[in-house]
Amino acid sequence: MTTAPQRLKQIKHQHRVQLFAFLGIIFFIFYMLMWVDNMLLSTVLAFVLFYSFGPFVNAFERRGLNRVLGISLLFAVSSLFFIFAVTSIYPLVSSQASALKSEIPKYINGTTDLILKTESQLAIFSELFQDINIIGQTEKYLYNWTQSLFEDLPNFLSHSLTVTLLAPFFAFFMLKDGPALSRRLFNMVPNNLFELSINLKHQINSQLGSFIRARLLESVLVGALVWVGLWLIGFKFATVLAIFAALANLIPYIGPIVGAAPALIIALINGEGPMGVTLVLTPYLIAQIIDIFFIIPLVVAKIVNLHPVTIIISFIIGADLLGVLGMVIAIPAASVIKVTIANVYEHLVEFRS
Amino acid sequence: MVSSLWDNIFKKDLQTKNITEILRQCYMFSTLTKREVKLVQNIINIRNYQSGETIFKLGEPGVGMYIIAEGCVDIYVDDFTNSKNTESKTQPVFITRLKKGDFFGELALVEESGRRQATAVSSTDAVLLGFFKPNLIEISERSPATGIKIIFRLGEILGRRLKDTSSKITDLKKALEKLRDHKST
Repeated sequence: MTTAPQRLKQIKHQHRVQLFAFLGIIFFIFYMLMWVDNMLLSTVLAFVLFYSFGPFVNAFERRGLNRVLGISLLFAVSSLFFIFAVTSIYPLVSSQASALKSEIPKYINGTTDLILKTESQLAIFSELFQDINIIGQTEKYLYNWTQSLFEDLPNFLSHSLTVTLLAPFFAFFMLKDGPALSRRLFNMVPNNLFELSINLKHQINSQLGSFIRARLLESVLVGALVWVGLWLIGFKFATVLAIFAALANLIPYIGPIVGAAPALIIALINGEGPMGVTLVLTPYLIAQIIDIFFIIPLVVAKIVNLHPVTIIISFIIGADLLGVLGMVIAIPAASVIKVTIANVYEHLVEFRS
Repeated sequence: MVSSLWDNIFKKDLQTKNITEILRQCYMFSTLTKREVKLVQNIINIRNYQSGETIFKLGEPGVGMYIIAEGCVDIYVDDFTNSKNTESKTQPVFITRLKKGDFFGELALVEESGRRQATAVSSTDAVLLGFFKPNLIEISERSPATGIKIIFRLGEILGRRLKDTSSKITDLKKALEKLRDHKST
């Protein structure tokens, strides 16, 4: 026969054990994501698909369609669309990419010439710049980079294929069994933290979902605007450059600059005058103006309420830990951490004080 | 071994049937169809509590309601009258004992960052069905008709509670006035 204080002690001990077990599983999942090849990227992409398809699956269900059937239908339609898009865009992208590849030595020489000119101009201004040897290093770097790019291409393609197959597979089961699996996982949370965990999960889910959908919309719009602009002025490689700009736009702050850089380099090397360069940069500028003044304040900023300093710090940490992928997921990761801290603080610290 | 396996399967089935029955009998879900109850059943959270375990505390952030599937739950509030006079810790005052089929904490379903108005402690080993704000949102997104039915019922329950509270305040005011009149005469 146990007394009331003894029973309370037992309950507290049980809560602690449950909490450690739950955190242990979460830690194990993160460990697997970080250390197993292709797992992190596949999971990030699976989450992107999960949050993009989620509203459509709910819409199907609202119209009376069985959830599993709705998910299968959505995957079948999007697979067909993907195959159609790849087969119709691939020849264009492939021809532009191979043309770009054949012209790469020309662009490397052109870039080094440009740097050479800049270097000599800088030397005129000050003696301090006399020791600068950007040209040798840049040329070597560019040659090494392009060489390794084409050497690593088979490896990169095999990784891409694995990710392309794994991500939809994960996303399908996340949509189908995700709620049941997460319910089973959250059943391990001790009773005293259960409401907090359920609320936290909901907030993180809705914030991540809105953020990913907004960023995808933003990227698609930027890519489309750049493509239309470059196509209208009859610029070469419009499709490849637009896809690159759309993907680069996912990286905060430096993404738009990185996205516009190839077009700028091509224009400069092709000997375009100030008018020509301005014309090439105009679509990028218009896309960024629409992005900065309309899409970000109306859509993205409302979702992630983070201070610019926090964004930059998380961006640096993300880049340092995971490279480009880290830069892309830095803001959502920071917002998840912020929501978690705010909720835990409200629940445990504010309430107890 | 085999018999215990069958026993477990039937036990699980029995538990599922029990939960369906409890949900159908709960006033909040009584207008739902069989299919809608199944949707709610797939979304709610089944939690086991030991005797004496706190479900939630007064002032704690709350996000939803609980339906008692098994066992009993005691509701307490703090005694503010004693705490004014003495600086010691407030003593919890027993308000009511809730039994199987009863529900509590429903105000948290509609409150924006709401705080619990009382403390709930399981007085026996209990099985509770937790129905939280994220669950209500999920139901409304997946089946808006079901969500509206639940929200209507919730509005009705909260309205009735408000009406009861208003009539109690009116009664108290009348009693206070009578007391004042009596004192003055």
